[in-house]
Amino acid sequence: MSEKLLELKNVTMKFGGVTALNEVNLHVNKGEIAALIGPNGAGKTTVFNVVTGVYKPTSGEVNFVGQSVVGKKRYQVTKIGIARTFQNIRLFGESTALENVVTGADVHSKSGVIGSIFGTPRSRREEKAALERGMELLAFMGLKHRAGQLGKNLPYGDQRRLEIARALATNPQLLLLDEPAAGFNPAEKVALAATIRKIRDAGYTVLLIEHDMSLIMDISDRVAVLDFGQKIADDVPKVVQNDPRVIEAYLGAPADAS
Amino acid sequence: MADKKFRYNVRDHAAEYWERSPKWRRVCLSISFIAFFYALPFLNNPLINTPGSDFQSVLFYPVGMYVLMAIGLNIVVGKSGLLDLGYVAFFAIGAYTMAILGTHTGLNFWEILPIGIALAMFSGALLGTPTLRLRGDYLAIVTLGFGEIVRIVAVNIEAIGGPRGIAGIPTPPDFFNAKFTILDPKPYYWVLLTFTLLIVWMVRRMAARRPGRAWDAIRQDDDVAQLMGVNTLKYKVWAFVLGAAVAGAGGVLYASQILSIVPDQFNLNVSILILACVVFGGIGNLWGVILGATLLAFTPERIRFLSQPRILVFGIALVVMMNLRPDGILPKKKREHFDPNWHTVEESGEGEIK
Repeated sequence: MSEKLLELKNVTMKFGGVTALNEVNLHVNKGEIAALIGPNGAGKTTVFNVVTGVYKPTSGEVNFVGQSVVGKKRYQVTKIGIARTFQNIRLFGESTALENVVTGADVHSKSGVIGSIFGTPRSRREEKAALERGMELLAFMGLKHRAGQLGKNLPYGDQRRLEIARALATNPQLLLLDEPAAGFNPAEKVALAATIRKIRDAGYTVLLIEHDMSLIMDISDRVAVLDFGQKIADDVPKVVQNDPRVIEAYLGAPADAS
Repeated sequence: MADKKFRYNVRDHAAEYWERSPKWRRVCLSISFIAFFYALPFLNNPLINTPGSDFQSVLFYPVGMYVLMAIGLNIVVGKSGLLDLGYVAFFAIGAYTMAILGTHTGLNFWEILPIGIALAMFSGALLGTPTLRLRGDYLAIVTLGFGEIVRIVAVNIEAIGGPRGIAGIPTPPDFFNAKFTILDPKPYYWVLLTFTLLIVWMVRRMAARRPGRAWDAIRQDDDVAQLMGVNTLKYKVWAFVLGAAVAGAGGVLYASQILSIVPDQFNLNVSILILACVVFGGIGNLWGVILGATLLAFTPERIRFLSQPRILVFGIALVVMMNLRPDGILPKKKREHFDPNWHTVEESGEGEIK
C-alpha cells in the first residue's frame, strides 16, 4: 500500500538569493491521489518543475521508483513515467486536439525519421497504436468531438481537459496536475473530481496542486502543505484542515495567539 | 458580397477537393501534374518563356534548383522553426564533393551523389549537435557564421583551387538515351525534377507522422515538447541533417551541370534568397514554398529585358507582396477536420482507459 513512487529528500531550490524550496521532504505513494496546497508563491509549481527536470535542485534528492530524477533530461523523465499539465495552459495551439494527444503517445514509439520515410511495418504499427490511444484518451476526457479542432480554438475548459489527455497519453505512472480546476465552475469541478478518481482507479497515481479546498478535501488521500518553500503539514485531509499552522499560513495568526 | 468573393480560399477548396476525390481521380491528377512538369522544357510559349535567357536553362537553374533548396530549407525553418542563415554551406559541400571527386578520381556522377549527400548530412550533424541547443537569434548567428566559414575555407585552400575554384568537372554519364552536355539542360532538369518529387514524397510522409508532430511541437513550444517526451535535440538535428541532404544533392547536380565552380558562388546571398523563397511562399507550407521559390527564381529571368532596373522592380514586387500577404502566398494554416464519426458528444469520463 505505502510503496513510495516519488520521494523528495531534503530538496532545496534557490534562485539567486531567493529560496523557493527549503529542505522539502515529500513523497507520493503508489495508487493515491496526493495534493499539494499552499498560498501563492509557496513553491508548489517549483516542486513540479524540480520533479520533471525543468530545474535541477540546488541540493537534495528526487527519487522516482528507486532511480534519481536529478540531472535527467526532461524527455527522459517523461519516458520513465512522470507527466504533467501546466498552470497556464500550454497546448500546441496550431495542432489539432488529436495531434496534441498523439504527440504525447509518441513517447512509446521506437521508430523515428527513417521508419516514417520508408513506412516500415513497425512505424505503421506504432503510428496506428498512437492514433488509437489518442482517440481513446480524447473519448475518455469527453473531447472526441473536438479531435479535429485546433488546440487554440477549443473552449477554455476543453483546453484544460486536453492537457490532461495529452499528459495521460505518455502513459505516466505519476500524473502531475497543476491547478486543473482553475477557472472551472462548480459543476465542472465535480465532473473533474470524478475524472481524477477514474484516472486513479485505472492505475495511475496523481499529485495535484489546487486552490479549491472543497475539491482537495473531497478527492485527496493525503494533503501536503507548503508555505514559503517549507512543508508545514502532510497528512490526511481531515487533520490538515484543522492544523493551526495551516490555518495560520492561509488566514494569518489569530489575534490572541501571540 | 465582394468581401465574400475576396475570401474565397483557393487552397482550402483545393485541399477539400483532393480529400473528397476517389483514389482513381487522385492518381490521374497526380500523373497529369507530374507529366506536365516533365514536359515543361518543351512548353516554351510566350506566356512563361524568358526572353533574354534560355528557357530550358532557367528551368534547371535557378528555378528548379531554388525549388529543391527551398523544400530542404523548409524542413529546417518551416517545420521545426530553426532559423538557418547558412544553408548555402551544404549546397557548397555537395558541389565541392562533386568537383573534387569528379576531377581527381574516376568516380562518376551517380557514384559521387551518395557521397556528396552523406558528407552534407555529416556536416549538418556536426554543426547541429552542438549549436541546436541555442535558440532563435543565437542559432541564426552561428549558422550565418558556418555558411561564411565554408566559403572562406574554400577560398583559402589552394589544393581545391582557392578563389579560382575548380574547373573541368565531368558531366554525368549517359543515361539510356539522355546525354548530359553543357548545351542541353533538359536531362539535368529531369534529374532535378525526379529528386524534387522524391523529396516532396518523403517530406509529406514525415510531416504526417511522428517526426512531423515532433517538429510541430518543437516549433510551437520547445519546453513543453520536451516535457511531453519529445527528444527535441534529436529531432532538431534530424531536421538539420535532412535539410543538408537536400542541399547536398542539389550541390552535386549543380556542379556537374555548371562544370566549374568558384567559392564566391556560395555566398550569403544564396542563403538569404532561399530563405526569402521560403518566407515569400508561406513558411512551413510545402506547396507555398514551391510556388514561392518558382516565382522568386523565375521573375528576375522573365523581366530580364528590363536589364539593370530589373533588380529594383523585383525588390519592389517583393515588398508589395509581403505587405499584401505578410504570411506568404500560401500561408501554412492547418484546416480543422470534422469527421462525422467523432461527433458522438460524450460526457466527461464516459470512455474507459487503461
